[in-house]
Amino acid sequence: MQLPQPRIERLQRREEVVYRLQEVLRPDQVIHRPEDLVAYECDALSVYRQCPMAVVLPASTEDVSAVLRTCSDTGIPIVPWGAGTGLSGGALPLEDGIVVSLARMNRILDIDRRNRTATVQPGVTNLGVTHAVADFGFYYAPDPSSQLACTIGGNIAENSGGVHCLKYGTTTNNVLGLEVVAADGEAVRIGGQGMDCAGYDLLGLLTGSEGLLGIITEATLRILPKPELARAMMAVFDRVETAGQAVAEIIAAGMVPAGMEIMDRLSIEAVEDFVGAGYPRGAEALLLVELDGPASEVEHQVGLLEDLLHQNGATELRKARSEAERLKLWAGRKAAFPAMGRVSPDYYCMDGTIPRGRLPEVLRRIQELSEEYGLRVANVFHAGDGNLHPLVLYDSGTSGELERAEELGAEILKLCVRVGGVLSGEHGIGIEKRDLMPCMFTDADLDTQERIKSGFDSHHLLNPGKVFPVLRRCAEGGRMHVHKGELRFAELERF
Amino acid sequence: MKSPIHFQRPCSADAVQDLVRQSLSNNSFLHIFGGNSKARLGRRIDGPSKVDMSGLNELVSYEPDEMVLVVQPGMRLSAVEQLLDHENQQLAFEPPHWGPGATVGGTVACNLSGPRRFKAGALRDHLLGVEFVNGHGERVRSGGKVVKNVTGYDLSKIISGSFGTLGIMTEICLRVWPRSETQKTLVIYDQDPATALESMLDFAASPCEITGLSYLPNFDGQPAQTFARLEGSAPSLAPQLKKLGGSIEREMQILEEGESMEYWKKLRELEFFRPTSNEQLWRFSLPPSKAAGLLDVLLPQGVRRFGFDWGGGLLCAILPNDIEASPLHQYAIRHGGVAWRFASDEQDCNDAAFTPLSAGEARMNRILKEAFDPKRIFNPSKI
Repeated sequence: MQLPQPRIERLQRREEVVYRLQEVLRPDQVIHRPEDLVAYECDALSVYRQCPMAVVLPASTEDVSAVLRTCSDTGIPIVPWGAGTGLSGGALPLEDGIVVSLARMNRILDIDRRNRTATVQPGVTNLGVTHAVADFGFYYAPDPSSQLACTIGGNIAENSGGVHCLKYGTTTNNVLGLEVVAADGEAVRIGGQGMDCAGYDLLGLLTGSEGLLGIITEATLRILPKPELARAMMAVFDRVETAGQAVAEIIAAGMVPAGMEIMDRLSIEAVEDFVGAGYPRGAEALLLVELDGPASEVEHQVGLLEDLLHQNGATELRKARSEAERLKLWAGRKAAFPAMGRVSPDYYCMDGTIPRGRLPEVLRRIQELSEEYGLRVANVFHAGDGNLHPLVLYDSGTSGELERAEELGAEILKLCVRVGGVLSGEHGIGIEKRDLMPCMFTDADLDTQERIKSGFDSHHLLNPGKVFPVLRRCAEGGRMHVHKGELRFAELERF
Repeated sequence: MKSPIHFQRPCSADAVQDLVRQSLSNNSFLHIFGGNSKARLGRRIDGPSKVDMSGLNELVSYEPDEMVLVVQPGMRLSAVEQLLDHENQQLAFEPPHWGPGATVGGTVACNLSGPRRFKAGALRDHLLGVEFVNGHGERVRSGGKVVKNVTGYDLSKIISGSFGTLGIMTEICLRVWPRSETQKTLVIYDQDPATALESMLDFAASPCEITGLSYLPNFDGQPAQTFARLEGSAPSLAPQLKKLGGSIEREMQILEEGESMEYWKKLRELEFFRPTSNEQLWRFSLPPSKAAGLLDVLLPQGVRRFGFDWGGGLLCAILPNDIEASPLHQYAIRHGGVAWRFASDEQDCNDAAFTPLSAGEARMNRILKEAFDPKRIFNPSKI
């Protein structure tokens, strides 16, 4: 992956830039000593590392405006930073730029039960929102696996998903208002607590724009009443394809479960070795299904679901009979990524989405590719919405294996696009899949997107080098690399 | 002297691209329309060249198992709904038609959603992808045919609700949703607007499967009515209805499926808000808790009829025709919302159709217009 070349003239002005930032912020808000900058050299795509010239920690919208004005005046690029848990290198710093960390803007500003909204600063964690509203019987629906650490600002930048997207949508469906600071330092408020906003859908544009159009300094989020009841069950199948077919039948029957997850044999074994979730060893596939809603509705659907799973080839069914059992069923799935770290020295995680109906053919082709490349691929996926997370297992200690794994990964993503899917379901493009964009988009598609970028940020100072391909050709991309289980944020669940 | 109106009816994406390129080369404007059922929204367009989208009216694909529908923009909304109905599916955002000719493209262009909006999201939340011809004459694709997708900017959302000012859509991909087995509506009588609003806010915060919350004040001898719709399986509804009704000490009634469907359809189609020739219709979208406060400000202006929808998030009001628009927009802003003024008739230029944007929002809107349609050929003056 070609990282943006640092410009000498910017590097030479490092001291001046630090000085100017110190003029507009307090001294403790500007980190510039090399030993302190190391903590910011990469996000969770840790194969790519670069130290920024400085890191600033604004405490208010005014601080963010002042920093952006300073950067605009001095022509210094900016990388916005939430918690650095992103998997696509979207927060990878630039050597000749600064990082703007929103960590200190971490206050919950307002909880409005009547309007069912929470207004928060961008540095509040995803789970922090749910914790803040739980006492009132509410929660915040998007639940990316890193929700303990990842921030709302980062979630909005990446349009984060989670396991409940099919029913509750991704971040973009749960944001009602934003305050955003534009590249020139001007703060703009968009939307609010109502359900419509004036003019073009700027909320929809900014959510998922990966920090390329502005820095989010405040967000008003939709919060939902906590479901009265959640019920989970596990079904065992003798083929992954059969499990996939069962998912299609569940949808065809008119049910929209809160979550549906499939794991293949390799993943099941790894998870059992790792956490002992009580999954059936030797099974080819398992499907986890969770229903939530009013108790009377869930109880009704559980019966229908059991029948459906039996009719569609489930060889074994296990229902969680208590909240503890429900959480245990999920614990295995959530441990799938770290469990892989014990099976293989390294793995790559992919994030394509496909139309669900193409699952059998895609799985077959992934298996063929796995054999062709001589590398094992474990499959875990959000089956309800077709979001695949194939994990390519490799050993970076074996010469050439890393390159083979990268090629295999790119082949899998291209396959996703070929069957009508997309490059990324929830991890974002960042730097990682940037050069694969032309596999999915034409020049005209990309030109239209880049014109927006240029309009919002004419000097290309906001997160340059991300999302848009450097060269407009379908190239090989990198993936989420994990070496010897040394996952950055290893303590976080990854699913 | 006015030049004669020139009609064009493209039947393919290529034809759309050709006519955009023609328009670019001879500096003409394009007024895009579908079924003309939404003509009352937005400002009047006086373009000499009209583009009739009814020629692009085909179903591209419908896969019920994938919960995905792909159509051309000129396809009638009624045809789509009929198709989905066969598979026990629906458009969850419950789009208003406002006329038999309503098309999918027009609905997307207005980002129009019905009573289920507060629960199921707006149209834009169900729009997975669009293909369109932009103002550079390029064919552009955004989004995809899958629910979970974060690949590139979400241009589909910008296109939805842009009132045809950023491009001409040639293909639309929507997420569809299973239809609930049945529905019932709890009706509470004789609540005043403020009390009704409090009931609706309480209901919306409950974990019941409530998919409609509206209020109509007493009118023409009819008592005031607060409506709460529940959807789900037949056995699940009774316990929920009991729970909702339990806290209310007013006369109540339950509308069974047929009556319930009929009421919500009427509400969606604005049948309770038909202005006469000396009246005008306004639609205020605002934080639900602010609806009663806004109403208090509006009533002295001579409100002839009003109603709440979206659990208070939407206030429809019929006002006298001679009322000044700009203070009404200011009221909307002051209550944290936005307003639409509906044009009275074809002659109405409806200059005050939309609440003005803040300076910052306006600047970002201009950037988008410039990026999509720098020569301003699409629907000039519409927004």
